[in-house]
Amino acid sequence: MSTLEFLVSLPLIAALAIALGAPARCTALGASVLVFLTTIYCAINYNTSIEDFAAWQFESARTVLDMPGIPTISLAFGLDGISVVLILLSSIVLLAAVLAAPDESKVQGNSRLYYLSLLLIGGGALGAFTATDLFFFYAFHELALIPTFLMIGLFGRGENRIRTAWTITIFLSVGSLILLVGLILLVIKLGAQTFAIADLIALAQGQGIDAASQNWIFLLLLVGFGTLVSLFPFHSWAAPAYAEAPTPVTMLHAGVLKKFGLYGLIRIALPIVPDGFQHWLHLLLILLIGNILFIGLVTIAQRSLDRMLGFSSVMHMGYIFLGIAAFNTMGVSGAVLLMFAHGLSIAALFALNGALRDRFGDLTFRRFGKLGKSLPRLGLLFGFATFAAIGLPGFANFAAEIPIYFGAFDGDASGMNWLRWATVGALWGVVISAVYLLRAYRSIFMGNAPKVRLDDAPDMLLREMLPVILLIAGLLIVGFSPEVLNQYIRPTVNGLFLLSAG
Amino acid sequence: MTQDYIAVLVQIVLAGGFAVATLIASALLGKRALRNPMKDSAYECGMLPVGEGQARFSVKFYLVAMLFVLFDVEVVFLIPWATVYRAQIESGAGIFLFAMLGFVGILFLAYLYALKKGALSWQR
Amino acid sequence: MQVYYLEFFVVALGLVMLMVDAFAKLQDKRSLARLGILGLGVVFLLLFAVQSPSNAASPVWKFYAAPDNLSLFFKGVALLTTILSLVMAIDFAPIVLSKIAPPDQGAHPQAGLGEFYSLPVFVCAGLMWMASANNLVSIFVSIEVVSITFIILAGYMRRNVGSLEAGVKYLILGALSAGFLVYGFAWLYGITGSMELGPITEALAKPGVNSTAAMFAFSLILVSLAFKLGAAPFHIWVPDVYQGAPTPITAFLSVGSKAGAAIVTLRLVYPYLTSPVLGTKALAILVVIAILTLLLGNLGALAQKNLKRLMGYSSVGHSGFLIMALASTSYPGAVNALSPVAVFAYYIGAYLLMTLLVFLVLNVLNAADTGETLDSIRGLAKRSPFLAGILLIALASLAGVPLTTGFIGKFLAFKIALDAGQWMLIAAALIGAAAGFYFYLKIAASMYLDAPSSSDGAAIPVNLLTKVSMVILAILILLTGIVPNVIVKLFS
Repeated sequence: MSTLEFLVSLPLIAALAIALGAPARCTALGASVLVFLTTIYCAINYNTSIEDFAAWQFESARTVLDMPGIPTISLAFGLDGISVVLILLSSIVLLAAVLAAPDESKVQGNSRLYYLSLLLIGGGALGAFTATDLFFFYAFHELALIPTFLMIGLFGRGENRIRTAWTITIFLSVGSLILLVGLILLVIKLGAQTFAIADLIALAQGQGIDAASQNWIFLLLLVGFGTLVSLFPFHSWAAPAYAEAPTPVTMLHAGVLKKFGLYGLIRIALPIVPDGFQHWLHLLLILLIGNILFIGLVTIAQRSLDRMLGFSSVMHMGYIFLGIAAFNTMGVSGAVLLMFAHGLSIAALFALNGALRDRFGDLTFRRFGKLGKSLPRLGLLFGFATFAAIGLPGFANFAAEIPIYFGAFDGDASGMNWLRWATVGALWGVVISAVYLLRAYRSIFMGNAPKVRLDDAPDMLLREMLPVILLIAGLLIVGFSPEVLNQYIRPTVNGLFLLSAG
Repeated sequence: MTQDYIAVLVQIVLAGGFAVATLIASALLGKRALRNPMKDSAYECGMLPVGEGQARFSVKFYLVAMLFVLFDVEVVFLIPWATVYRAQIESGAGIFLFAMLGFVGILFLAYLYALKKGALSWQR
Repeated sequence: MQVYYLEFFVVALGLVMLMVDAFAKLQDKRSLARLGILGLGVVFLLLFAVQSPSNAASPVWKFYAAPDNLSLFFKGVALLTTILSLVMAIDFAPIVLSKIAPPDQGAHPQAGLGEFYSLPVFVCAGLMWMASANNLVSIFVSIEVVSITFIILAGYMRRNVGSLEAGVKYLILGALSAGFLVYGFAWLYGITGSMELGPITEALAKPGVNSTAAMFAFSLILVSLAFKLGAAPFHIWVPDVYQGAPTPITAFLSVGSKAGAAIVTLRLVYPYLTSPVLGTKALAILVVIAILTLLLGNLGALAQKNLKRLMGYSSVGHSGFLIMALASTSYPGAVNALSPVAVFAYYIGAYLLMTLLVFLVLNVLNAADTGETLDSIRGLAKRSPFLAGILLIALASLAGVPLTTGFIGKFLAFKIALDAGQWMLIAAALIGAAAGFYFYLKIAASMYLDAPSSSDGAAIPVNLLTKVSMVILAILILLTGIVPNVIVKLFS
């Protein structure tokens, strides 16, 4: 069993053990710590000197289906620089999510199912980010769908939770069905004999796909992946789902699983259908500005913390799309780094959101005020997370957003082009996110005391703080020294553009 | 080739035509409206009919009848087998005897089963 | 060991079970079923000891195909299905006993139960024979062995109106379809002058074949096979019979009978599809049947309230995917093409795992007197998390969620239709798959999200044998969903 097979099967085996009767929280915690250590091991032993895209390290492959007439399917795993960053993200957020999950006795309902679903979602994400075979790349993402549905429907909050569960499931299933059609067309048009992503890229380097088909395929991929990432206007599932899902699920979904669509665009769409990408670039720019400005304004209009955070996570996807749209080394590297940074910061915000909800229930802003005095630790951590999400220097978000802006504004064309106008629009988004995040901070932790007394709620215990501290520590480390991750991202992204140049 | 089947067609037309013609003839020639309940009742040697038209028989009759048919068919299979037995043995098909033994053996087991389950015991 | 010994052993096992039932004074007749399971298990192991025939010229092979992996695979399917149906029948014993006549004075309290366990073994022998039949006579006789026994089994609970209805419907329609089959065979013999499939295939491929007569024979045979497969428009009996028959028999019928019909269909339809003269016409008929079956089966299931009835419609829908694979046969000479035979075999293997798993759970619910309506499994996750989890896996696979075996089956069916460019079929299959996704997951959702319909929250007892079978099937569903080669290597 290779390292990556071990890594991916760990959460799944732990889930099975829980189903068979192992103590839920202990097993989940043990498994996620082991996952974390394994990813660290992979990151340390990753050779950063190879400048190539989809040049897998830690590679392993087992043929699982070979039949005449079907491209061979292999259960294959491997890492390149982008996947290293994403499995680090997954393992950190998985650990934080399990830490933030309530004790077994406090779970309303079947606590085994709760932890089991968390592990399945985490395992699905790890599998999707490490699979080097298109079939399993897709299949592992789907693995997370049913647990998400059950988690929201069973353990979610609010009366609408079953409706919300259906909404997110239908949106994501339809999105992945469109994606599946696109991927199948892609494989057929390439005439591939295997589903191995590296083979597909090599074929695309050869005769490739004709321009007309590329346009269709990219559109399908954009809509499919876009729905999974909540690209405007396919975003309407996200905010209610994040507001009503149990805290750990929101952390995992908003922080990790949503990045699958972006990862897919970089991994599949950019190298294999670059002409289609160029063809639809203007549409993508319009949609991502919709994400940043339109959703940004919608976010400002929210009156409660949970929905505001849900919309803010939709909005921030726009920046990552901008980095991808820039289609140069700087922009795409920034996009990958921002996936990591956003994943940690939104997970931290949702963890704190959960802590607040445990104490006060309803999260409408006007109920709050002056909590900084009675809950100093919560206030401090919330401040850190807020600043990170706004993208203040010192946090990973800053280190990621700057290259995105520079990358998108790059090029020697004098005057403004679509990309530059989009960048200008996106910069206004920074102001928008500063407005709503700081306003949220002020209305909860500062200002006047509310009419209803809230200051008898206990401050955060170490157990509650631990996941948030873990996430913020990650943000600070990468923020002060982006090279920690850039060393992985740079060679791979360089490789991507060597591909498109050659 | 098709012409060979014309005889069959003629047969079908004749058979169908005869049935239809008889019905039509009886409807045309027969006297209508001379019906009453007494006339419609079953004729039983001048007596008034008693009970249901379809009397219920004990299921045992059917059981015995079915078993009889089953074992009767066995004989139907045995006779053609017996007539070609000599020829087959001479041509050296050794499996021939065992094929029939297997068939009879299965039926023998079936007979034992029926006996033991009481299918042939009249009073129970 | 010669391959036909397998059927001898199974028939002998059935006879032994009948004799033991008649002569031995068994305390508990359920041990007969255990004997059957054990015996069939041994025969299953013997499958791997089959050798190719030493004397290929022997007249036996005119009636019975020499063993290849495909026929052995279908024999294995028949054996596995029978074993699992017997496992279900053990749990189902009290219900059968309550629905047949009360025992006479002094008779065994379980009188009438022994045959309920012996008859499936004979069906199994018939199904195994079907997998190897290569002669019109042996095809017909093997089909009748299976059908007649199924008539008895479907109507086994004679004090239950539904079961009687199932038996009578299956009897009348089965007899009708047998008539069509024989008439079709007669025409086929008239056209080709042979009863053996090999010469028939050659005769049909000749350019001078009388195509009107051949297509007439094809239509007659297809009517009968569509009836056995439960394909539209001859599927009307399926929901009624599935609902009425005893649950283990429903399971047996839906998997065993369908697998047998599938292999026979493959054998009989293939000569037509590969014939350069008749291929296009035969294909056109199959496409229409496939589209109808996909739509009627899956959309019909949407409105169902009874789980067994719903599984009936679902089984019709899955037949649609099977026929879709057949209707996408590429013409001979296509190099390195996906063969419909392989899709058929894989789909049947996958279908066996997931359908039997659903029925195992349904059967336990039946035996626990929980009822078989959709309402009765509301909130099952609270009453019995184990059963709910198992059922969730089976339903996910039936719906075609990735990483389950059902996804691979659908994937192969879609792939072959894509290769053949059958766009109408693909559209119908997409609608069918989407409808299927909805109604299977709706069951799963009601199991987890709804409150139980009755206040009776007692845990549902599951005996060890059933539990082990369930776990093995669930593991196989997931394993073959990740590593489909486990099934593929068995038949190719």
